[in-house]
Amino acid sequence: MRIFYQMAAVATMAAFTLTSCDPTTTPVDPNPGDNTTKIITENITANETWYADTTYQLGGRITVTAGATLTIEPGTVIKGEAGTGANATALLIARGGKLMAVGTPSMPIIFTTVADEISHEQLMTGDFKGPNLDPNVSGLWGGVIILGNAVISASNSAGDVSEVQIEGIPTSDQNGLYGGSDNSDNSGHLAYVSIRHGGTNIGAGNEINGLTLGGVGSGTTIENIEIVSNQDDGIEWFGGMVNVTNAISWNAGDDAFDTDQAWGGTLDNFVVITPSDHCFELDGPEGSYSASHTIKNGNVQASSADQTSHDLINTDANTPVSLEHIYITDIMPGQIINRVDAPGVFFTDIVLNVDTVQNYIKGGVTVPGITAGTTPKANTSVFSWTWAAQSGTIK
Amino acid sequence: MRTILAIALFISSLSGFGQSGTIRGIVLDSESGETIIGAAVNCATCGSGNTATDLDGNFSLKATPGAHVIEISYFTFQTMRLTGVQVKANEVTVLGELALKPEDNLKLDEVLIVAEVQRNNEIALLTLKKKSTAMVDGISAARISQIGDGTAVEAAKRVTGVTVEGGKYVYIRGLGDRYSKTTLNGMDIPGLDPDKNTIQMDIFPTDLISNIVVSKSFTAEQPADFTGGLLNIETKAFPDKKIGSFSISTSYNPAMNLNPNYLTYQGGKLDFLGFDDGTRRLPAGARGSSIPTPIFYPTSEVNSFVQSFNPTLGAMKQMSLLDLSLGYSTGNQWEGKKTTKSGETPKLGYILSLSYKSNYNFYDDVFYGEYQRYIDPASYELRYATKQQGQIGEKSTLLGGILGFAYKTNLKKFRMTLMHLQNGESRAGQFWIDNDAEAVGQSGYLALSNNLEYNQRSLTNILFNGTTVIPEKNVEIDWRIAPTLSLSTDPDIRKTAFTYGTDTFFSAGAGGNPSRIWRYLQEVNVPFRYDITKKYTFLDEPAKLLYGVGNAFKFRHYEILFYDMQFFGGQSWSDDDPNQVLNPANIYPNFPNRIYYQTGNNDPNPNEYSSNSNTASAYVSTEFSLNIRTKATLGLRAEHYIQRYTGRDQAYASGNVANGKNLTNDIVLNSLDLFPSLNVIYSLNESQNLRLSATRTIARPSFKELSFAQIIDPLTNRIFNGSFFEYSAWSGQLVETRINNADLRWEKFWERGQMFSLSGFFKDFNNPIEMVRIAEQQTSTEFQPRNVGRGTMFGAELEWNASFAALNQKLENLFFNGNVTLIDSRITMSDVEFNSRKSYERTGQTITNTRAMAGQSPYVLNGGFSYTAPESQTNFGVYYNVKGPTLQIVGLGLFPDVYSEPFHSLNFSFSTKLGKEKGIGLKLRASNLLNDDVLSVYKSYQAADQIYSRYLPGWGLSGGLTFQL
Repeated sequence: MRIFYQMAAVATMAAFTLTSCDPTTTPVDPNPGDNTTKIITENITANETWYADTTYQLGGRITVTAGATLTIEPGTVIKGEAGTGANATALLIARGGKLMAVGTPSMPIIFTTVADEISHEQLMTGDFKGPNLDPNVSGLWGGVIILGNAVISASNSAGDVSEVQIEGIPTSDQNGLYGGSDNSDNSGHLAYVSIRHGGTNIGAGNEINGLTLGGVGSGTTIENIEIVSNQDDGIEWFGGMVNVTNAISWNAGDDAFDTDQAWGGTLDNFVVITPSDHCFELDGPEGSYSASHTIKNGNVQASSADQTSHDLINTDANTPVSLEHIYITDIMPGQIINRVDAPGVFFTDIVLNVDTVQNYIKGGVTVPGITAGTTPKANTSVFSWTWAAQSGTIK
Repeated sequence: MRTILAIALFISSLSGFGQSGTIRGIVLDSESGETIIGAAVNCATCGSGNTATDLDGNFSLKATPGAHVIEISYFTFQTMRLTGVQVKANEVTVLGELALKPEDNLKLDEVLIVAEVQRNNEIALLTLKKKSTAMVDGISAARISQIGDGTAVEAAKRVTGVTVEGGKYVYIRGLGDRYSKTTLNGMDIPGLDPDKNTIQMDIFPTDLISNIVVSKSFTAEQPADFTGGLLNIETKAFPDKKIGSFSISTSYNPAMNLNPNYLTYQGGKLDFLGFDDGTRRLPAGARGSSIPTPIFYPTSEVNSFVQSFNPTLGAMKQMSLLDLSLGYSTGNQWEGKKTTKSGETPKLGYILSLSYKSNYNFYDDVFYGEYQRYIDPASYELRYATKQQGQIGEKSTLLGGILGFAYKTNLKKFRMTLMHLQNGESRAGQFWIDNDAEAVGQSGYLALSNNLEYNQRSLTNILFNGTTVIPEKNVEIDWRIAPTLSLSTDPDIRKTAFTYGTDTFFSAGAGGNPSRIWRYLQEVNVPFRYDITKKYTFLDEPAKLLYGVGNAFKFRHYEILFYDMQFFGGQSWSDDDPNQVLNPANIYPNFPNRIYYQTGNNDPNPNEYSSNSNTASAYVSTEFSLNIRTKATLGLRAEHYIQRYTGRDQAYASGNVANGKNLTNDIVLNSLDLFPSLNVIYSLNESQNLRLSATRTIARPSFKELSFAQIIDPLTNRIFNGSFFEYSAWSGQLVETRINNADLRWEKFWERGQMFSLSGFFKDFNNPIEMVRIAEQQTSTEFQPRNVGRGTMFGAELEWNASFAALNQKLENLFFNGNVTLIDSRITMSDVEFNSRKSYERTGQTITNTRAMAGQSPYVLNGGFSYTAPESQTNFGVYYNVKGPTLQIVGLGLFPDVYSEPFHSLNFSFSTKLGKEKGIGLKLRASNLLNDDVLSVYKSYQAADQIYSRYLPGWGLSGGLTFQL
């Protein structure tokens, strides 16, 4: 693999690449031949396009500020520099900014670390696997953070705390504020995006998720997302109304999917593979505003030879969520659904691949919506473009 | 040069006086308490002729052994005749303070005859307190030696309105550090902790202290940046006679000393001297913005880089020892030959003090809590986000040295004092951390944290001071310059917290990955002042004109370096011993843990800054009498203050040049202020005064507050943010607090220091600075200093010092000292704060737009009984001190206010002199007899208080011996 990479790099120097790209999905690069690495250190304050023939290296916490749109071509590789604390790198879409990162199944967009030797040339071969880093290497850079103006539940109705600071960004950066009143807010479009090896922290309990969605509105489209080995959660939602379709969270260092502050959208069709902490960490509203979210049609692999997750499903007493058509397999003794009596939590067709289902429910009770069985629920065919699928990790 | 020559000549002129002795004293004006320069001191029988008092009011006479009669006279004063002054061969007879009474028209020729000379009777300070137009208080060397206090801090506690925190730092009138100030020999000296306004006081042996004076009202010759009080320590220049003492003391606190559970960690070989020997040095190559990480650097380089970090990450139990304190001090003065030309006798004085202290603290049950309100306004109780409970072991080592030389002739004085303090504090802690996922912004985890810290501080200060008196012009000129270098380093602060779940591992999203921090602070201060005092006559009464200029330059460089442990892939730990974590088998590329370090430091570093400030000042002040009963001081001071900053925010540091902020020696504060002051004393009769003062003062933000620094406390994970960061509720523009002060006081004096006084005061704070919780940040606990509207303060103070002689004459040596201060402080909140509080108003609660000022206690109470047996020099005392609940951190929104709770301090002390010559001092003390805890709590409407921080200092006993050499 390494030899291939070096050859590809030589090929890049020879600038033979553009012609081989699909002209219908590739805008014209205004600087053809500028096919090297570009280090990004400035915030993006005006519309800007990142082209597939260039590797973009995040030199810090790069923010797309209000009014600006960052468009990323299919097949583009973005790499964050190493660092922690103040030195952490990340791509932050501030409220009012937009990220248009629309890849294709044959030409996904990769966010990873500079330590990753993956390249546009490798993607062109149809191989989207990490060439040199194991899928459990995390914390090498930050992550992708999208913030919007949709309602979050972080205060009571009379409160002025309709906006708060996103986890993972130091309080001193005001671009880290999210939340508002526009539920149909549009922060852009993400499709066929794989985010890998991120999640560096800025302090204990304050780290960056693979994909953070803070107050993101329903005008935003997020579909076909893969998060691999992020040191914190795979995807974390903080309020907002955005829907996410076709998502994989593989080897999250914390939870696979984490919801807070009354997210009101739907996660539809997903795969969870062995997070270190909970498979689902679903919290309730923090203010008086409440909205319920739906998580449906998914497969969960709760353990592997190397890794056993914590709770199968973890909810709080005030969590409002409807969990529907979820199949959980590779369950180890001690792994449980932590609560089934929360008034806002509804279980429909939750299937555990175990003999005695109540052994895996807190209190040893039975619940109509949770049964034993072996029928997967996700449509995994849509994930063929992912590293997880290509490496045969999806069961 | 001239001085050096003079000293050389002086030494060559030292000559033996055979078997004669020496008589020394100081002559004062009994009305004003001021020293008298040029008073004639005659001794017909002494055999050495006559002399005159020098610019300090001091005189020194050689005399043959035997009894002598001395006459002291000065124009317009009654002559004092002292009889029976005993002189022994080769010894110094110290007469102490001799107060001349002003001539009374009716008794023009009367001579006051004092048959027995009283020793050290504190005339100067008592008279100063009684007669000074400004409100001052103090304690003199005489009183200190009478009571037997060992260090300045013990002595200062006896001054009205002074409270001591942490056994080291003084606060005046219950006002926080921001509004109190400590100076040494009249000069601004940074403390060992440069972020504090006050000097660590436990390092000054009382042997070398001439006096401690607390000013509670501002006069123009003082720096304007104090509001509560200014405490000045004046060191001795010319000891009355040869002094030499060696002291040894120890203390035992059952919780802290000889405790087998005491926590420490493997430090360096020089820790016992207060230095790190390099054990905690930053590894080579760690400073750059790129450090060896996998892939980019050869594997062997990553491996050896990780191995270059000290592998100790865990605390260990080790029996703590007893506290130990050693002190040596000496001093003397020599006289040269009387020069034939001027009739002057030059004098050379020196003082030297060396001290060593080592103290152990062990807090067995430390608790830190982060609490929140519920969203539901009918849920009153608070819920926790994080609870942290554990132990901290602390060892502090202090080495101190003070060396002073002074040279004077009758009308000129020069002195130089050199001081160095070296302090090392090693700290090891172990905590269980319980984070509740259900709380807002929290992910929920259980972790066991090991915290290792070392703080090394030093302070080097040199004072040059010259004084000249020109009698024919009634002028005294005094100049001082006192440069200081302070260094404070926190090398290798290590935090290692295993997260406990189904597995035990390091979780960045929970207990965090192991981290290490290095912090460096260097500060240089160069204060200079030049003061002129001119005596004149106004309305036929003596008056004084004071004027002068000054300049104080300060420079600080600060830097934080941060490293985070990472694992290249998964983790697997066979045990949870933090000291095994950096075992070579766990270091990259060794599977499974593959440890490497990531740097948190950009180049340039956003957590690095240089600041400097310059205060140029000039003042004029005059003290005059309006009539026989009314004396006033009217002054005006001007200060031009400029503070500059070099540093940048994170955005700039990570290369975002367009949007980031970068300051290069940019002015961040620039103000020219006038500080008028009026102090009036109206004498109702000989023993009663009415006082009035109206002044304007200022409190300026510190270097740290005016910065982009973000300083995490690894023990608690609480983060300080510099004020430059902007929020929707905060402009990022921190400004000075300007304060108007008014005081009114009635006081009555009796003999022997007994007094009663009642005062009222009012202060108006424009833009007070307080620590505010950042409401937008709900995941971590972060604070920021901000200006918070307008504050006012009304206070009443009662002071009573009385002897029990009134009850029974036998109890004349039993005294009661007490003072109580009641304060009503009020801040009118900003709209942001008000709305934020309103949004979390509980059912039944009515939030108004005012609250108490942060840092201001509603009351301060000091009281004690002391008994002094003058013959045996035996003293004992019981002292009680308490400060009311004080708003410590201003909560916003979800987060309730934090208050520090009263600490009821009750202490007992006993001292006596032993031995034939009473050359051995014995001192015993018992501290914290009520065994109170130091507690801060979250307070919310109708909710039970929840702990923000708590530790138990425990009760202790200490004993010490001082040998006169």
